[in-house]
Amino acid sequence: MYGLLWDAIVNLLQLKYLLPLVIGTVAGVVGGALPGVTITMTVIIVLPFTFGLDPLQGLAAMTGVYVGGSAGGLVTATLLGIPGTPSSVATTFDGFPMAKRGEAGRAMWLGVWSSLFGGLIGGVVLIAATGPLAEVAVAFGPWEFFSLFILALSMVAGLVGRSLLKGFLSGAIGLVVTVLGNDPVMGQPRLTLGIEFLEGGIPFLPVLIGVFAFAQIMGDVERIGRGGTLHESLDRAITLSVSHLKVIGEILSRPLLLLWTSFIGVLIGVLPAIGGSAANMMAYDQAKKLSRHPERFGTGTPEGIVASESANNANVGGSLVTIMAFGIPGDAVTAVMLGALTIHGIQSGPLFISQNTQIAYGIFAAYLLAHPIMALVIALGARLMLRVVTVPKAALFPVVLVLCVVGAYALGNNMSTVYVLLIFGLLGYAMVKVELPLAPLILGVILGDQIETNLIRAIMTDADLWLFLTRPISGGLLAASVASVAFALWQHRRQRGRELPDEEADDF
Amino acid sequence: MIGRDGVTGLVASATSLVLFWLTLGLERNPLVPIGPGFYPRLVLGVTAVLGFALFVTDLLRRRARGGGPPAAPASGANYLLVALSFAVFGVYVMLLPLLGYRLATFLFVLGLSFLLEPPRRLGLWLRGMVLALATTVATYVIFDEYLAVLLPRGSWTGF
Repeated sequence: MYGLLWDAIVNLLQLKYLLPLVIGTVAGVVGGALPGVTITMTVIIVLPFTFGLDPLQGLAAMTGVYVGGSAGGLVTATLLGIPGTPSSVATTFDGFPMAKRGEAGRAMWLGVWSSLFGGLIGGVVLIAATGPLAEVAVAFGPWEFFSLFILALSMVAGLVGRSLLKGFLSGAIGLVVTVLGNDPVMGQPRLTLGIEFLEGGIPFLPVLIGVFAFAQIMGDVERIGRGGTLHESLDRAITLSVSHLKVIGEILSRPLLLLWTSFIGVLIGVLPAIGGSAANMMAYDQAKKLSRHPERFGTGTPEGIVASESANNANVGGSLVTIMAFGIPGDAVTAVMLGALTIHGIQSGPLFISQNTQIAYGIFAAYLLAHPIMALVIALGARLMLRVVTVPKAALFPVVLVLCVVGAYALGNNMSTVYVLLIFGLLGYAMVKVELPLAPLILGVILGDQIETNLIRAIMTDADLWLFLTRPISGGLLAASVASVAFALWQHRRQRGRELPDEEADDF
Repeated sequence: MIGRDGVTGLVASATSLVLFWLTLGLERNPLVPIGPGFYPRLVLGVTAVLGFALFVTDLLRRRARGGGPPAAPASGANYLLVALSFAVFGVYVMLLPLLGYRLATFLFVLGLSFLLEPPRRLGLWLRGMVLALATTVATYVIFDEYLAVLLPRGSWTGF
């Protein structure tokens, strides 16, 4: 394993792979630093540029975006008090107060080095766990896969959003999208509604691009002209110079905190669709609870920055485990990566590592190399990034939408995918307005065909439906699915109990 | 009176039921013991039930509150700008096969950037023009000429 990893690292250091990795990391850091531009949107923007590349070049670029984006948010979080991405929200709690009292360099570099260490801890888990988990999954039959996908969907539907019912409805709508077009088992047309471009089914990438890009952009368009600009909060006199050895010493002198919050990040990454935004908050909460001085949190304590930033980068490693071992995207970014694999004709799932060893280890290598590159990019460009974040939305959004159109169009070199983009852009925005969470919809669209295929295969093999419950792994996964729903119900009830009695209660 | 959740639930439920009805006309394949309508009916049935549950929950919640509508928070959101942005994007998508990528993209970037920030001074006019031109040229060169994505040619313009 280590020989393969070393070979992959050496391979990736060739200019043809290193360049996309560096460009992806730069794009990720800048996208992560731009408030209002999420990592998902950055990876959507980068996606069309990878179509003409070979699979490893494209995946290296995307891994760079993911790693860079997870760390990029800390620049504006610490220096401006504005989290560039949701995964750096908790970094602002202590990063910005520290910067305000004149320790901007310390605050930022505590974040950067914590991201690097947390990410590398996530990398160790990624490399060590993916292979064995994939080996377990190779033994799965259609019953187990069906149950695994149901578990993933129920977890996502239950844990995102404020309403369990809306989470499930969103996931169900995603599954409905996949029944339009044709039957994945026999390819028989069904529910095409007389629309020509539905005959081949609805590809998930334009759905994903449309839903996420429009939900984000139109949400920002709503607020245009209603708030202040970033120019107001920029302070040109910020000094970022710092003793790196001292900062690294500060982090490594808290090994238990670093390991524990990185572990939380990895664990949340492995669970589908919870994501870095929850990882950094939960890690921050844990760090505060375990601290001997919880009262210092929120005033500029280094523990807060270490917890948040180590967790959100370790989360990336965890998300990659899920997609590489099971073919289930952990979040929207890995969903786009899954799409990129499909475009290059690579089958995701448990056989991915054994059938595409070079690419799998290439992703590991890209992940490991992206971390020092990220630190270098921030070291060289932090001050420049503070200027980039002032790019007017009126200039940014048209360009992003053009890239979304090109990305959708390039999938089939025809307009049908662009129409899908427009339709799902409208749907995505509408869903945000009625507070239906987007993540279950996307997972439903991604997993729908596989759920159907495995269900039909299982029934064709043996019509006994009890096998879904009596086969140990399948039964266990379905039991876990029920448990996750029960947990979500309990969590929602507890949340409701905490809210004021006269406040509008969530359903379920 | 039903609220936003109720309407969402009703729309989801009604759409699912219509699609469910359409699956009844699907022919079974003799090679597969389960027809192509089996899974869609399962999914659409569940969606219809979930939609209806959302509708009922909304109704019950409103009844428990005494029927009065909740005080809507003042959002201050610029929905007109959102609607116009969607319209501009829709027109762009419609014009792409007619005007071709280059002309349609130039007009779209120019139009949307001016819509989002009206050009009240010369600098903004210039910025909009440069942005539209640079975006069109850069994306065309990168994708069409370098990455071999055959971007749409216009049936009206011929390029």
